[in-house]
Amino acid sequence: MMNGGKILLVEDNPDDVMFTIRAFQRNKISNEVVVAHDGAEALEYLLPDDESKALRPALILLDVNLPKVDGLEVLRRIRSHARTAGLPVVVLTTSSEERDIVASYRLGANSFVRKPVIFGEFVDATKVLGVYWLLVNEPAPPWRGED
Amino acid sequence: MSVGASLAVGQEQLIALLDHTSAVIYMRGLDGRYMLVNRQYERLFGVRREKIVGLTDHDLFPKEVADEFRANDLAAIAEGRPMRLEELAPGEDGPRTYITVKFPLKDAEGRPYAICGISTDITERKRAEDEVRRLNEELEERVRHRTAELEASTRELDAFAYSVSHDLRAPLRSLAGFSEVLLEDYADVLDDTGRGYLRRIEANADRMARMIDDLLDLSRATRVELRRGRVDISGLAWDVVAELRDTYPSRDVEVSVADRLVAQGDAHLIRLVLRNLLGNAWKFTARSTPAVITVEATGPDDGVFAIRDNGAGFDMRYAAKLFDPFQRLHSASDFEGTGVGLAIVSRIVHRHGGRIWAEGEVGNGAAFFFTLTTEPATAEVTA
Repeated sequence: MMNGGKILLVEDNPDDVMFTIRAFQRNKISNEVVVAHDGAEALEYLLPDDESKALRPALILLDVNLPKVDGLEVLRRIRSHARTAGLPVVVLTTSSEERDIVASYRLGANSFVRKPVIFGEFVDATKVLGVYWLLVNEPAPPWRGED
Repeated sequence: MSVGASLAVGQEQLIALLDHTSAVIYMRGLDGRYMLVNRQYERLFGVRREKIVGLTDHDLFPKEVADEFRANDLAAIAEGRPMRLEELAPGEDGPRTYITVKFPLKDAEGRPYAICGISTDITERKRAEDEVRRLNEELEERVRHRTAELEASTRELDAFAYSVSHDLRAPLRSLAGFSEVLLEDYADVLDDTGRGYLRRIEANADRMARMIDDLLDLSRATRVELRRGRVDISGLAWDVVAELRDTYPSRDVEVSVADRLVAQGDAHLIRLVLRNLLGNAWKFTARSTPAVITVEATGPDDGVFAIRDNGAGFDMRYAAKLFDPFQRLHSASDFEGTGVGLAIVSRIVHRHGGRIWAEGEVGNGAAFFFTLTTEPATAEVTA
């Protein structure tokens, strides 16, 4: 049984949005995908002024290079609020520059995945991610009383 | 010869001696009045010795100069023994620098009654020293400038590489991705040729992505700071071989790695060296049965490592081109590759202060040799 929660895809490249959604479909991952096209939009979903409208996704797929607020800053903000600190964040990005990998893990990323160029390999990677984070992994309950 | 006679002759000889030296020699009373000067003094300051007796430096030189000479005289008298100091005196083409030895003359009771000075003109030496100092400073300044330029260009290279790794791969993913989407969604409106073209687009996008990765490795090999330490070459080689066996499970390659191969260097970069060299050996032995690869140290000296294979080899006429980026000695259809691997290897070995070379024969295997320091540098031991 898949965790039925939503997936927040933070990605500014429309092609990549399409490929990612397509890869989920190929893998029969039917969780609703919410797309944030830049870092600011992602933060509006996760940490809105009106907390009742906050999105609590089962998985966040986060690109590093994003307009407005970059991915690492989004990650830092997610980890610095008790309401979002426990959410699984997989940094899913183009680069495998060491500094991005190091910074991501320093800021508390759960995983770092480089998007393969070949679509077939991307589908395989998405499958592993979906199975692990939505099926195998036990999500953290909300961290109460700390925010 | 009586003692008196020898002294009388000695005095004249002494005067002659004083007059034939290039040093400036003079004797002044405690009150600063001249008692004696030598010929060099007369020549340099344009006074005759008969005229100078009884005069002081204040009669001959500008006040500041005379004041300084007098102060030095008094200091030497107070000191009671020879003093060595630097003095400036006017000359024809400006002030000249002298190194002066001053010492008091004492009577039988040890009381000083006069002061003697021997001054040697060191202006030229001084100028030469100043020139050397100036050149050194200029050189240091130039080094600082170049270093700053180099740092700036490394930073630029860094930013460029970062941008390449982010921005250049994304369009390739779109190219490959849409080819795949066409193959999946529109397979029925394309014939085999059409589908083949799409496969080619995908394969080329993938190839370009690998070239970008290799170029980034090349640039990283250039710009990362070396973290030197003891590197277990044998262990690293076995690691890389295990990776290669995983990547190419269908290949059967006989590998032997000599035990206890050790070098000093950056483990991360040396791993890249082994990955490229062993990866090449793996690739070029694809048509050899059995495929044999050896890793060993060669020669009487430590620090020469060799990776040999019995693969396709290469023509020694092109040995020098091997290490240039994008130089390939085999066609892409024979053996795939981006042609950057050996450039990375060579860059890393050179950054470690080592050398790299290759020997080979078409159809008869290749051997790659590289040198690395095996002993830690003393500075690093104490650091």
